[in-house]
Amino acid sequence: MSAQEIVFENVSKFYGDVLGVNRIELRIPPGLTSIVGPNGAGKSTLMNLMCGLIHPDRGEIRVLGISPRDPERLMRMTGYATQFDAAPRWATGFDFVVSSLLLFGYSSSLAERLAWAALEQAGLTDAARRKVNSYSKGMRQRVRLAQALAHDPQVLVLDEPLNGLDPVVRAETIALFRQLAASGRHVILSSHVLQEVDVISDRVVLMANGMIVAEGDIRGVREEIHEHPSQFLIRCRQPARLAALLFERAPVAEARVIEEDGALLVLTRDRNVFTRTLTALAASGLDIESVVPADENVHALYEYLVGGSA
Amino acid sequence: MTARFRLRQALVIARLEMKRVFLARRSLWIYALAMLPAVLFLGHAIQLRYELREARQGGVVAPAVIETVETGMSEQQVLDVAGKPGQDRERTIRRSSRREEQGKEIFETREVRTRRMIYFDGSRRAYLWFEDGRLQSKDVRTLLNFAEDQEVYAGVFQYFYLRLAIFFGCLGIFLNLFRGEMMDKTLHFWLLAPARREVLLAGKFLAGWTAASVVFSAGALVAFAAMLWPHIGAGAEAYWQGAGAGHAARYALAAVMGCAGYGSLFLAASLWIRNPIVPAAVLLLWEASSGFLPELLQKFSVLYYLQSMCPVPAPLEQDVPALLRLILAPAAPLSPTLALLGLCAFSALVLWGAAAGVRRIEINYSTD
Repeated sequence: MSAQEIVFENVSKFYGDVLGVNRIELRIPPGLTSIVGPNGAGKSTLMNLMCGLIHPDRGEIRVLGISPRDPERLMRMTGYATQFDAAPRWATGFDFVVSSLLLFGYSSSLAERLAWAALEQAGLTDAARRKVNSYSKGMRQRVRLAQALAHDPQVLVLDEPLNGLDPVVRAETIALFRQLAASGRHVILSSHVLQEVDVISDRVVLMANGMIVAEGDIRGVREEIHEHPSQFLIRCRQPARLAALLFERAPVAEARVIEEDGALLVLTRDRNVFTRTLTALAASGLDIESVVPADENVHALYEYLVGGSA
Repeated sequence: MTARFRLRQALVIARLEMKRVFLARRSLWIYALAMLPAVLFLGHAIQLRYELREARQGGVVAPAVIETVETGMSEQQVLDVAGKPGQDRERTIRRSSRREEQGKEIFETREVRTRRMIYFDGSRRAYLWFEDGRLQSKDVRTLLNFAEDQEVYAGVFQYFYLRLAIFFGCLGIFLNLFRGEMMDKTLHFWLLAPARREVLLAGKFLAGWTAASVVFSAGALVAFAAMLWPHIGAGAEAYWQGAGAGHAARYALAAVMGCAGYGSLFLAASLWIRNPIVPAAVLLLWEASSGFLPELLQKFSVLYYLQSMCPVPAPLEQDVPALLRLILAPAAPLSPTLALLGLCAFSALVLWGAAAGVRRIEINYSTD
């Protein structure tokens, strides 16, 4: 198994009779990976398995070559911001982060310095001396992020990290994730708000009913599902004429003229033939302003894959 | 990672946990339980000291004087022997009597002059009851009986403190270490630390043991001091300089080791069984029956070792009902050193079992 990847090999987890995840085969390289799916899809189970909070009933997991059953080594290089909202009653934000750092064996002074740095990264220095129990949902989210970040882990696992954040903090947090991923770390986050991850992720893992329904970079995932039509939005001066020409020359399943926008929404089963045809029509003098894939976002993919709205 | 590093981690965990255990609102009843004997002994001591002060104010006679006084003596004879009593009260009462005369019941009432004198010899009070100038009865009550107080303390310590207070106190403290955090949904904080699960177990056990030991040994020592208090100036100093300090230390040690024994059992139970109340009830029965278990099985009872650490055997009255006698009867005693080593080995064995439990623990808040 690669020491640079997070590897799931035929991993299954059941909670009694209830399926958590089933037969997961997954390799996650460095970069920003989003695990996407509706509630109950198995995202948190996958993350909890990765960090050793639960153990698989079948299969094997390795995080950069380390078993999650070895928390002593695993958690030294992994930070996990869980979705669990409760914090120890005694803890202020600062105590919460410092306490976890002390368990790494850092001296008090170093732990305090690292804690302040992490709290600053999470934008929480002003509220650091308040009890976590008195924090708003967004602040609790950020203090968990600070705790996960504080020891500068190689693998950062974040369960719904953008929940409850206001737009400014959300933008800052996303920028931080990108920066961490760009530095060669594994940043793995989960979300059921699909629009927020397709913009920031290097790759996505789509889950439904405890199984992975697709994985890879967004375009790659889209390529995997040939049987589903691709959707393009074309802006041009004569959308009705273009629609007629496309029906004649390309495998178009559906075309809809959007008069007010001067646009045509096309559904095709073969994007290669379609794009070649469109290029030929443009070259023949048809005035085409722009062509935009209309379904290369995770939401659309997800709808295709699981056959319902996410 | 070195053993030294792991030990440091366990100490950090213990330090963080101790704050939670000591300051938890749900621990308040444990403090009350631990201090209950101290409150009772303190109350008894205050009452005794009040009675002693009152008795001493009336004067003290030699103990032999009380022995000299016998029923049938006249008031004057008693006054000649014993002098002026500490308390003296005279009054006249009307006494009715019935007799039969020629088949008829006749009721008669006559006036009787009574007098009650109380003498105090420094530890005993003699209540003398006179009717019509003659001593009718002599009731000698011991106010200060050190041996009896020591026995009472031994009884309270072994029958209440070890069997119930420490048992239920540890149930409250040690169940909360993992199960309580599972209920509060905060256990993941610890499981995400870069520490072996066994280190986490050791740290939490250390926190619970320290907290329980401080609370219960302090409770035992305060109660012991309260037991001694009224006897200061009447033998307590000599006792303390002789065996007393050792006795106090052995009671405190028994409390500390009781916390280790019961604590390890409840910690293990909380890791293996979702609802540990049923096993706690079974354990209570098991401990209660330790006195009449076969010798081999007695070794698997915490009480077996604890009773052997106590310096004074607990009293067991003859008129105690048979079933209760069976429950209260102590097991065959061990030497205190063997008892200490045995309980250490027993607790270590239970914690070894708990380590297997903590390795398999999973965060599943929704079902707990």
